[in-house]
Amino acid sequence: MAISTAAYAQGRKGLYLTEVMVQNDSSVVDDYGMRHGWIELTNSTHASMEISSVYLTNDSTTPEKYYPVPLGDVNTNIPPLQQVIFWADGEPNKGTFHTSFKIKPGETIYIIDADKKTVLDKVTIPSDLKPNTSFARVENEKGEIVWEVRDGGDKYITPGGSNVIVDTNEKVENFRTLDSNGVVLTVMAMSIVFGALLVLCLCFYAISKIGSAISKANKMRSQGVEPKTVAKADAPASDSGEEIAAIVMALHEHLNAHDQENTILTINKVKKAYSPWSSKIYGLRELPRK
Amino acid sequence: MEQSLSEFMSGNLETFWAMTGFANATWQHFVMLAVGMFFLYLAIKKNFEPMLLVPIGFGILIGNIPFSAGMEVGIYEEGTVLNILYNGVSAGWYPPLVFLGIGAMTDFTALIANPKLMLVGAAAQFGIFGAYMVALALGFAPDQAGAIAIIGGADGPTAIFVSSKLAPNLMGAIAVSAYSYMALVPVIQPPIMRLFTTKKERLIKMKPARAVSQNEKIIFPIVGLLLTCFVVPTALPLLGMLFFGNLLRECGVTTRLAKTASNALTDIVTILLGMTVGASTQASEFLTLETIGIFFLGFMAFIIASSSGVLFVKLFNLVLPKDKKLNPLIGNAGVSAVPMSARISNNLGLEYDPSNYLLMHAMGPNVAGVIGSATAAGVLLAFLG
Repeated sequence: MAISTAAYAQGRKGLYLTEVMVQNDSSVVDDYGMRHGWIELTNSTHASMEISSVYLTNDSTTPEKYYPVPLGDVNTNIPPLQQVIFWADGEPNKGTFHTSFKIKPGETIYIIDADKKTVLDKVTIPSDLKPNTSFARVENEKGEIVWEVRDGGDKYITPGGSNVIVDTNEKVENFRTLDSNGVVLTVMAMSIVFGALLVLCLCFYAISKIGSAISKANKMRSQGVEPKTVAKADAPASDSGEEIAAIVMALHEHLNAHDQENTILTINKVKKAYSPWSSKIYGLRELPRK
Repeated sequence: MEQSLSEFMSGNLETFWAMTGFANATWQHFVMLAVGMFFLYLAIKKNFEPMLLVPIGFGILIGNIPFSAGMEVGIYEEGTVLNILYNGVSAGWYPPLVFLGIGAMTDFTALIANPKLMLVGAAAQFGIFGAYMVALALGFAPDQAGAIAIIGGADGPTAIFVSSKLAPNLMGAIAVSAYSYMALVPVIQPPIMRLFTTKKERLIKMKPARAVSQNEKIIFPIVGLLLTCFVVPTALPLLGMLFFGNLLRECGVTTRLAKTASNALTDIVTILLGMTVGASTQASEFLTLETIGIFFLGFMAFIIASSSGVLFVKLFNLVLPKDKKLNPLIGNAGVSAVPMSARISNNLGLEYDPSNYLLMHAMGPNVAGVIGSATAAGVLLAFLG
């Protein structure tokens, strides 16, 4: 199985027909020790997929003949990137994975969704497909999906398994042979790390410039001055006392330099009209002079 | 034939003896128990990263109690309590949770105020890739070399995350090595910083950072996530949680969540992570020549990372205007090890000029190092995973 692993969303869109054998005289046997033609389905997604209530058929024109994958069988929940085999023996009474139809060369096999209308996938078996050969879905060098005949020689027949047998990590092998001293990976990786952080850095220069320009303009407007009319030299300093007080307070909070308090500190200016009647200074006693 | 009472008792006692640690102990078990106790000594008596080394050290003791296989108590036996707790390490979901807490604890103000410090954090990641080259030269396979090299990021959760994917069999040694060297940062870094700087450079006073608005602090995690994860989606679990935690902290409307993430949640995950990593270091996997190689490479990675941070600042100073020069003593902080390496910059700065406080300046490359090492981890996973 070499279908694209592009991330599909949830649903049965990632359910594919991936290998088919019509006449099976020497390949895999079913639970009863019998050989039949078989159809392999693959869940190409990275999540488990429940396939009960989808239909398999070799005749899309007569919905009443569709074989419904039965409900209530835990084995119909296909794990991510895994396969299941259906035996095309025309004996559905043998179990969940035995279809109600048999297959012949030249026929088209369909997977149809629970609505009995949506065709999830289909494949037409070559009319000249020989006994004990399978018809398998693979990805070619260009990344296109193609089907090929497999005779079990160099091209393995893989019922219930991935159509591509990977015995090494290709990426690691390439680095081992082409970049044995690690210089290429280092250059590439450092460029990416530097690039990512450089972009972030430039982005924040831009954001800070825009932010300070906006706040400066707002400040001037609040003072009733048009920003354009003020010369740069006359512009107020960006760091106000309030901001510095807030930073100091935040540091104080952050360093946890005092006990837990439930009060909320604010830096709002409190304006009170002065009146000697309410002034506390007159209520304080002077300290005794020695 | 009926058993006599004495035969029955001796048979049971024999079975019991066969189950005990004494009957199953090997010299490797005792070596590992000694390693665990050494870690506990370092943590409790020497105060070396006690929050990490106490759980790891005690975990090593737990993981190296000898027993016969099949008793369903071991960390590698399916379905055991330790095995269930270890899933957070083996499946890699503890590190992102720790990153959530780190994000909720980290104040990026110093970095936002002076964004060019991000480049210092990036430069220090050369420690990872320098160690990668050395690891290849020592004969490690590229994926194993990548897993070991991430120790140079000086970030325990990142090291565990990457090694669990690239070289799960080396993860225990890598995690212990990463945390050990993080604890030893105050010993490793100062000589390197002195070696690569002149007295004149150490006295450079940096301009106070500008004030950073609340809006900038809110925008930072959002833009940071988008930019970095579009480049390296493989780092999404780490960077996504880091920036999410930071947004909880900075947005001002989720104080309760930020407090939980930075306190209770981080503490719980740190306990479980440290204990299970320690318990996973079993003699058969740990007492090998590879482990010695890993410890050596980890040491190399820290040295290269600290050196490259300091040297990059010196290089950077060549193009910066005179009034905006950086003190090279903050270069070492480009390795993550938050906030330990920033404190070292500060202490060394004060040693040469008691009025030169570098802490807030060093926090810039320090937190950039967290982003940088997570990005580097994503790059390694993309290339070698």
